[in-house]
Amino acid sequence: MKRSNGSADRSLIVGSVPDRFFVRQSCAQRAVGHIRLSVRLRDQTTVLDRLHQSGPLRLRVVRSEPDTATTAILLNTGGGIAGGDLNQIDITAAPGTALTLSSQGAERIYRAGIGDLPSRITTRIAIGAAATLEYLPQETILFDNAALNRSLRIDLAGSARYLGIESLIFGRAAMGETIAALDLTDTVELHRDNELVFRDSLKPPRDFATAQTHRAMFGGASAIATILLAAPDAAAHLDAVREAVGVNDVAITAGASAWNGLLLVRLLAHTGAALRVASLRVLSVLRQDRPMPRVWGC
Amino acid sequence: MRTIMADDLLHLLTWLSPAFPTGGFAYSHGLEYAVEARDVTDGAMLREWIGALLRYGAGRTDAILLRHAYRADDLPRIAAFAAACAPTRELAAETLNQGTAFVAAAKPWLPPDLAAVLAAIGPIAYPVAVGALAGATGTDQEATTIAYLHAWCATLVLAGVRLIPLGQSAGLAVQAALEPIIRAIAEQTRGAELDDIAACCIAADIGSMRHETQYTRLFRS
Repeated sequence: MKRSNGSADRSLIVGSVPDRFFVRQSCAQRAVGHIRLSVRLRDQTTVLDRLHQSGPLRLRVVRSEPDTATTAILLNTGGGIAGGDLNQIDITAAPGTALTLSSQGAERIYRAGIGDLPSRITTRIAIGAAATLEYLPQETILFDNAALNRSLRIDLAGSARYLGIESLIFGRAAMGETIAALDLTDTVELHRDNELVFRDSLKPPRDFATAQTHRAMFGGASAIATILLAAPDAAAHLDAVREAVGVNDVAITAGASAWNGLLLVRLLAHTGAALRVASLRVLSVLRQDRPMPRVWGC
Repeated sequence: MRTIMADDLLHLLTWLSPAFPTGGFAYSHGLEYAVEARDVTDGAMLREWIGALLRYGAGRTDAILLRHAYRADDLPRIAAFAAACAPTRELAAETLNQGTAFVAAAKPWLPPDLAAVLAAIGPIAYPVAVGALAGATGTDQEATTIAYLHAWCATLVLAGVRLIPLGQSAGLAVQAALEPIIRAIAEQTRGAELDDIAACCIAADIGSMRHETQYTRLFRS
């Protein structure tokens, strides 16, 4: 891994990522992974407080360089998710800290075996007062007949700031993969000072093909992203974000809205590549052109 | 469905009539943009569009919210949950403005203790307001759910008739075709938990977002 001079990569894992297998056999033994990370402030710098990691999940913390937030990179050494795997990720950012979370690569959700329960990914993010957390994982690729119950809960204290993206790719169109059936529930809940202020739960019908072509539902898209900003000044970015998504691009349908201290952007794209380009345009506006975590490869 | 009592019918025909001053005629739930974008150009497409919203969007969501508000276990929590479910600024305003107007107009029927709870909540989502009033007055829950979904569809059909535009009889044909979906959603949402609320009308949400900057607008959503 390349590093710029002076940055100490506080790598907490040893060894390399195993090759990802494009088809994982449904296994009787489901994987159970858990990450618990907390960061705190020391001399105006965000530093690791506690880290617990078990099962196939690993986390690598890269110490901050000047002008960049401390960055933590999630990694699933299991090479994808299937067969009722359970992954739980708990992140706590103490007051005043700044943390960026990303993932090493795209997560793959493989076909569920007969009798498998949906795999679960449960992420909880608690952000203390005046802290900033960016949740910027790379795409999640769903294979035909995948079964996933994913939930993300964010707890903000007072003026804490959260920026997150979640991208789903429904079969890799470039490889001729399509999704006929799917069992997906994908829920985001955002609480501010213990009050629910936003809830978004996506649950396509099992007969995914019908939803995919429906003009009110996916409108023919095979990739979607949701970008959510919760911050006192969220609405101030609306015009710039609208400009970023209003670019005339036939491969993208997108919109943005701001209310109640939130800014929500939804993107529908015909390909994962088009989705990535448009998402990065929006994130660039919301991150004041700061570079993305290096794992994004841009 | 069981027999409806005369009182239930009298309540529902008034509360969910287009003449009840909730301002429903001003909202299109993003349909105005869908027509502009030519995603909805005729009666068949209008039926498909509203059908999707009923099954995988606000129709189903509202039915579950209404049923929970009807039981009124913790109305402030249900009201907060409902407000959090809005996916865009205009859809939040659509439900909160209508719900708040509904409460104001429902004064003659409102029991004092419920009035106090609602006053403390402030702006309230439309299905929560309707469910709370129906529950407090003992108006049949099944009938209320059906009547709410019917009124919700009728508002959208009427918006479609004005926007596309469609003839009166074409609009009524859409309303008739939606009846089985209304019945199915009422059936499916019986006993559903708040956590079962989920949707899948991403393109319609985006349409609602884009409606905010639509050049010519008749509707507020």
